[in-house]
Amino acid sequence: MRVGEYVGCVKALNEAHQCEFGWYHVFNVPKSFYSSGFIFGGYMEEQLNKLVSDCTAQIASAANLKELGDIKVRVLGKSGELTALLRNLKDLPSEQRPEAGKHMNIARAALEEKFAEKFAALREEEVASRLASEKIDITIDKPKRDIGCLHPLSSVRNRIIDFFVSLGFIVTDSPEIETDYYNFEALNTPADHPARDVQDTFYITDHILLRSQTSTGQIRTMEKVKPPIKMISPGRVYRSDDIDATHSPMFHQIEGLVVDKNITMCDLKGILDMFAQYFFGEQCKTRFRPSYFPFTEPSVEVDATCNHCHGSGCRVCKGTGWIEILGAGMVNRNVLTGCGIDPDEYTGFAFGMGLDRITNIIHKTDMRAVFENDIRFLKQFK
Amino acid sequence: MKVPVIWLNDYVDISDISVEELAEKLVGIGFEVEEIIYTGNGIENVVVGKILDIKKHADANKLQVCMVDVGKEITTIVTGADNISVGDLIPVALDGAKLPGGKTIKASFLRGVMSYGMMCSGSELGIDDSVIDGAEVNGILILPKDFTIGTDIKQALGLDEYILDIGVTANRSDCQSVYGIAREVGAVLGRKVKAPALKYKTVPTNLKIPSVYVEDSELCPRYTARLITDVNIEPSPKWMQDRLRLAGHHPINNIVDITNYVLTEIGQPLHAFDLRQIDEEIRVRKAFEGEKIIALDEKEYELDPSMLVIADKSKPLAIAGVMGGQHSGIATDTTSVLLEAAKFARGNIRGTSRALGLRSDSSARYEHGVDWNSIDAGRERALALISQLKAGKITDTASQCEVKAPEEKIIVTSAKQISDLLGIEIKPMTISKILKALGFDVEQKENKKLVVTVPLYREDIDNFTDLTEEVIRYYGYDNITSTFLSSAKPTVGGLSRRQKNINELKSLLCANGLYEIATYAFINEKQHDLLKLESNSPLRKAIPILNPLSAEYGVMRTQLAGSMLKTISGNTNRKNSNLAFFEIAKTFIARDLPLIELPDENETLCIGLAGGEHEFYELKDIVSQILASADIDFNLEYGKRQYLHPGISAEIFSKSENIGYFGKIHPDIAENFCVPENVYICEINLETFIDAVPVNKQYKPLPKYPAVNRDLAFVVEDKYSIGELIREIKSAGGALCSDVTLFDIYRGTQITEGYKSVAFSLKIQPEEKTLTDEEIQTLVNGIVENLKSKFDAQLRLS
Repeated sequence: MRVGEYVGCVKALNEAHQCEFGWYHVFNVPKSFYSSGFIFGGYMEEQLNKLVSDCTAQIASAANLKELGDIKVRVLGKSGELTALLRNLKDLPSEQRPEAGKHMNIARAALEEKFAEKFAALREEEVASRLASEKIDITIDKPKRDIGCLHPLSSVRNRIIDFFVSLGFIVTDSPEIETDYYNFEALNTPADHPARDVQDTFYITDHILLRSQTSTGQIRTMEKVKPPIKMISPGRVYRSDDIDATHSPMFHQIEGLVVDKNITMCDLKGILDMFAQYFFGEQCKTRFRPSYFPFTEPSVEVDATCNHCHGSGCRVCKGTGWIEILGAGMVNRNVLTGCGIDPDEYTGFAFGMGLDRITNIIHKTDMRAVFENDIRFLKQFK
Repeated sequence: MKVPVIWLNDYVDISDISVEELAEKLVGIGFEVEEIIYTGNGIENVVVGKILDIKKHADANKLQVCMVDVGKEITTIVTGADNISVGDLIPVALDGAKLPGGKTIKASFLRGVMSYGMMCSGSELGIDDSVIDGAEVNGILILPKDFTIGTDIKQALGLDEYILDIGVTANRSDCQSVYGIAREVGAVLGRKVKAPALKYKTVPTNLKIPSVYVEDSELCPRYTARLITDVNIEPSPKWMQDRLRLAGHHPINNIVDITNYVLTEIGQPLHAFDLRQIDEEIRVRKAFEGEKIIALDEKEYELDPSMLVIADKSKPLAIAGVMGGQHSGIATDTTSVLLEAAKFARGNIRGTSRALGLRSDSSARYEHGVDWNSIDAGRERALALISQLKAGKITDTASQCEVKAPEEKIIVTSAKQISDLLGIEIKPMTISKILKALGFDVEQKENKKLVVTVPLYREDIDNFTDLTEEVIRYYGYDNITSTFLSSAKPTVGGLSRRQKNINELKSLLCANGLYEIATYAFINEKQHDLLKLESNSPLRKAIPILNPLSAEYGVMRTQLAGSMLKTISGNTNRKNSNLAFFEIAKTFIARDLPLIELPDENETLCIGLAGGEHEFYELKDIVSQILASADIDFNLEYGKRQYLHPGISAEIFSKSENIGYFGKIHPDIAENFCVPENVYICEINLETFIDAVPVNKQYKPLPKYPAVNRDLAFVVEDKYSIGELIREIKSAGGALCSDVTLFDIYRGTQITEGYKSVAFSLKIQPEEKTLTDEEIQTLVNGIVENLKSKFDAQLRLS
């Protein structure tokens, strides 16, 4: 049965039902007649009984909804057989009519019920067979409409940003081509400072360079915003390193800075502990090791529990159980003073992490693959 | 810096501490131990042996059978080597010995003769000439005659030593020496640090010591010189050579070795001049323009007045603090030596070293800073060693030139100030104890103040925060607890509008099936030629880097297309197809070259599609979505870029400003970049709209009356574009004609050559009432008339 036929059947059945309502209304017999015990004319009764038994047999043998619909129309329809019988009521003597009418109604109700039962059974059957016939092979793959994805550096960056934004940090941008002032001098690293050698910087002129650290963002922010300050500044940075598994002449950092009254090293530890747990799991701990950066004092390197071995020691952490994740410290007084912030009134902490390093840790990628942009690599981060 | 543990032990007793434990202590106080090197790695059961007898092997031409005294016994060893003679001392790997690389030696028969071990070459022991001369010889390593037979070879060659490779941070110039590290180790272990032996006797002399003149006391605040006579140049003793080798120096002769020994031990660079080569005086002056000197590395350097030289009356003798001159250096027949110990400004040494491309151990120390007192400590130690080694006689004449000695800094602080910065309370007594162990003098005043006197060698200590660091690195960072900004004011955080817009743009691009890439901001300038940029193209004004890694990363890019094409090329080479990429990065646009001010950094979007089913209209759809999402009205013109297909590319204009382009690449470019021809590329300068605050969309009630669709087909000359036709349909249709879409273009039979049939679907949406058939027909007629008059378009009746 096609869908169209099926709809047709249902429609036909409904029409038959509609007729019925009108019919009932007309033959609404007063209750007193039921108890009168009057039997209407023999011939008509015979006809009615035959009609009922024939129809019952036809309903039982109806093979589908269409057939059933046809039967219903033929018997109960406007010009159906039962309707015709009813019309003949007027030929009965008036005293027999109520009783006859009552019988016909009972007969009609009985047939209606049979139709309904059969209808439900056939419908269920037909839906089941239709659904069965529509079964498809779900193992087939059709060509997909591809959806791309972010580079892993971007998605990790977004996750880090989300964490700090949730704590009230603003996110600032600053130039990639910078002056010596922002990259070094304002960060307490004057011209003859040995720390300048540690990070081999790309120069454009004597005083313009490719920033070697996002710490430039600290200065640019503090020049514009006064405490309380909570900011992070992500971006590309450049150092004269040949590319290998862990180095690249261009990479990414995220700088963080908090300046307010009475900020302590314990606050730094608190934020970084939370960060490490957010990023590497609840069991993750951090460890401070003394270090040196010209723009923080005291300065520390921060290690997190190795996320490969969870601290028991493995190849990734060289057996120490710890992996270095960032550098941090309390903002150097000279840096604050240089930005017009009174270091006797305010203190702060700063930290800087390598986005590429963190990406490499959590995705087990390496620096070459990250900048190679092989689409098979990129598709792994959907 | 390489610190041999045995040397450290001279100054602080660490004989009872394992090297791992020592390394851990150092890490704890801020000295990263990059590597623990054990020189005897993998060598076991190898001893010094003496060849007593050599006989030909009876059954093998190339083998010899030797009787070897290995101390406890005399044993037979069969060897194929031919550089040995009776009486030679050689390393013998005994039965069961292990060699580097996991090789095990077993007694075995060689052509019927039992060999109870193996004689070793340098390479079999894993050593080279830096350990002992002859180690790189192709053959058995012949040992010096004074080695003791039977000694373990690791002991004999100094291969039983541990070396700590320590990363000293840039602020700790005082720890660039064995003694400096010993001072820290002493403090962390609470052990006494011994003073270096400084004893020597002086003799009078008739020789005149050259007078010292310093012309620039800023660049050379202190210069001292001592005269040593009766010098006898010879190799330094084995113990000194061994130590120098462990620390990474190559032994040369006694005088030069002593200067290197002191450099490593005390951290003071010294220089020894041959007195014969000094013309009357020592003059520390700036070099003359173009002045030349041949340094000890035998290369000639041309100097300029930014550089400091040690000169005499007639010529430069040394590049101050960097390297001595070859002419005035120590020769085998040197008899009198002028020993220099000085302090030079670190920035100047750094500048000179960089400008000349010449680095030495001396320049490395000076760049970090050498303190006032180390000059004396280093010189005195060297004189004591000269005396100890009997390398010469130390005369009682000295010559020097110096400014006033600096005074020790005094910092007034308190335990509270230090505790407040840390966030934990540390008692004054604890602070005082830690600082005293590090050589600071601490006075506790009644008003709770701490008056701290800083030793001169701690040039890095300026204020209480520096002292705080000293305290906490010894007190232990593990004592820092976690608090959560208990005193900070709440702040409103978040991304800037620009950052949010970029993120949204990226989401849109990903949803369109594009993968984000990350490429380098510096490119090879040759890319401009590959892109066939015109010689006067502004894109050629790329900012060059003075010291690039290589030409490959030589200039800052002004466009992203080249990097995109390189990425597509790389993928194509690996047989990756159906590529869809985007990148959002900066292009760097200089206003002037060379740069005077910072350039414009324009946030730029680049899209690249290649292979697969990609086509122009797909890219156009993406571009339209991007601009629609930013509420940008735009119009297109055929592209004019040299690197694009002129007929399949478009320039994007917004308010008459050219904000980007997209289209197929030119076939020549495909060839230049080794990519297939069906590559589509787009670049849009985001700066024009990326900061825009999105407006709140205002709700427009949905139409109450039914829309009517009408399809119309026209035959027009081929030269008219679909865009023009749609524009005129809309113009005639007015507000009622809410949407016009093209659904067919047909050329061929039934259509005159040079003409095309175009079919449009019109949506007519009334706002006021339901339109009657007549009204709709009038509207359609108007449209048909307009196209007829503008383009001579004929309505095609179906």
